[in-house]
Amino acid sequence: MDFTNSLQKLAGYRQRQTQASKEALDRGGPLLRSGAYTRQGNEGWDNLEKLFLAALDQGDFETADQCLQLIVDRFPGSPRADVLQGLRMEATEPLDVALKFYDELLEADESNAAVWRRKAVVLRNMGKIDRAVEELSAMLDTFYTDVGGWLELADIYSSCHQYTHALQSLSHALILAPQSPFYFLQFAETAYLALDVTLSLKMFLVAVDMTDDDDGPVPPQDSIPTGATLRSWYGVKLCTHRLVSESRLLSSSASQTLAPSTEKLSMLDELATERLRTAYLNIKGESPPKADKELIGVLATIVQ
Amino acid sequence: MFSNAASLYLDPQIRDWVLFPITVVMILVGILRHYIVLLLQSPPKKLPRAAIREQRALMRSNILRASSANSPLPPTFYQSISQNLSQAFAEGTFLKDGPPKGDTPSAPQNPLADPSQMDGMMAGMKTQMVMMVPQMVIMGWINFFFQGFVLIKLPFPLTLGFKSMLQRGVETPDMDVRWVSSLSWYFLNFFGLNGLYRLILGNDNSADSSRDMTTPFAAAAAAPQGPQAQDFNKLFKAERDNLEFAEGLYSWVGKDIETAVLKKYGRLPDGQ
Repeated sequence: MDFTNSLQKLAGYRQRQTQASKEALDRGGPLLRSGAYTRQGNEGWDNLEKLFLAALDQGDFETADQCLQLIVDRFPGSPRADVLQGLRMEATEPLDVALKFYDELLEADESNAAVWRRKAVVLRNMGKIDRAVEELSAMLDTFYTDVGGWLELADIYSSCHQYTHALQSLSHALILAPQSPFYFLQFAETAYLALDVTLSLKMFLVAVDMTDDDDGPVPPQDSIPTGATLRSWYGVKLCTHRLVSESRLLSSSASQTLAPSTEKLSMLDELATERLRTAYLNIKGESPPKADKELIGVLATIVQ
Repeated sequence: MFSNAASLYLDPQIRDWVLFPITVVMILVGILRHYIVLLLQSPPKKLPRAAIREQRALMRSNILRASSANSPLPPTFYQSISQNLSQAFAEGTFLKDGPPKGDTPSAPQNPLADPSQMDGMMAGMKTQMVMMVPQMVIMGWINFFFQGFVLIKLPFPLTLGFKSMLQRGVETPDMDVRWVSSLSWYFLNFFGLNGLYRLILGNDNSADSSRDMTTPFAAAAAAPQGPQAQDFNKLFKAERDNLEFAEGLYSWVGKDIETAVLKKYGRLPDGQ
């Protein structure tokens, strides 16, 4: 493993420790010590599980072990508790041990979807990407409705630059949850990476259409794009910019998506630029740079 | 009439040694039965992966079809999924025993031949036995010791039609309908205790026996109505037509999205 790769991994680890899990741990710790969770009924056990995950995320193994002990004592032999035990193993034990644990669980009950998925994740973390993909695909072939599994698969494919496969996985997530604009956004971004810019443009526009606030007090053209809408507009701008400057992309779409007419394309480009400038003006309070390239550049930092 | 009714007095001993014991015994037996049934219930059998896959295959095409008129998927992606599914259905790759071989008879299996189904039926029979036996014993007990007893006088008048219901086992044409015989008291309890069980044991208790009595073998009949009774191969073949139909209805949500967005932001006139 080379130096940059390690650095990237470390950066990834730090990112995963989210603010939410820290807060959950801070609030949950005293509750755990006072035994409030076990008296709350079903909801309490749910919350205890969340506290366990937060503790693992923060690396507080003592709290995690206390939670796990309570859960396992209450629900011996429960498949859900088994998965938690596996997670605890993944945190400190070598990954082969966790993998063996999952294998044993699957041997006892081969239809345990949660364990199956964890197994795929462990395989991925061990670097056996091919086997992870194999396991995950087999699992999704049986348990089709697992949206998280499809996203994971798409993520694996994207990390190997297999964008076409990633798009196919994402398309399953899309039909499973067509109400979520975030999957459209992810689809559009992946399509952009796959150099299918016309498809990407359409998907970004769908995301725009889904996320902008058209029931608000101001008409859409006067609103200020934020969050997912801003990200979508940024994507639209990237796509139109590339389509205008590199005309060969207009006809090289792998999914044979037709590009909008040149007239509409320039209109979209204008509209996206105007939207982005509005957002920039609102966030930074200063007038945005004039040139397209610079505008895209400064907004990249905001969108991230 | 009045003097006739007043001339009949019940020994308080009957109340203490017959009426209350019958009621208490029936309640206790019901509660006991509830817990025995809980003990007898075997956990639901775990299905092997192939069987789950077979059962859920239809759901995949349902999900695809559900949004086909306004599909989030671009045409190429939609068609590849739809055609893959259709092909898999045609070839029978989802069937748990693999694709059908040539001309094997496709008649549904006799449920009695499959050992995995016998379990379900046996479970039904077991609970059935737990229901029937104690009731028969109680009825025998009442018939043997208290036959012809008059136990209680209802505090409200009733018409003569209730005579056969309230005075079973006491064949006296002249007695007031308000007097209840021992056997009738048993039946009143038998059908009327469900409300009490619900208070004590919660809503889905299995203490109430009248329900099973009225529909004998309902539990046993309901058990084998599992997925095994279906012929998945036929269902899959039928689903192919639905998929084709949905493909005809298909339209992509992003088809004219640029026009829609431009109109929304006032860059294109609405009428265009």
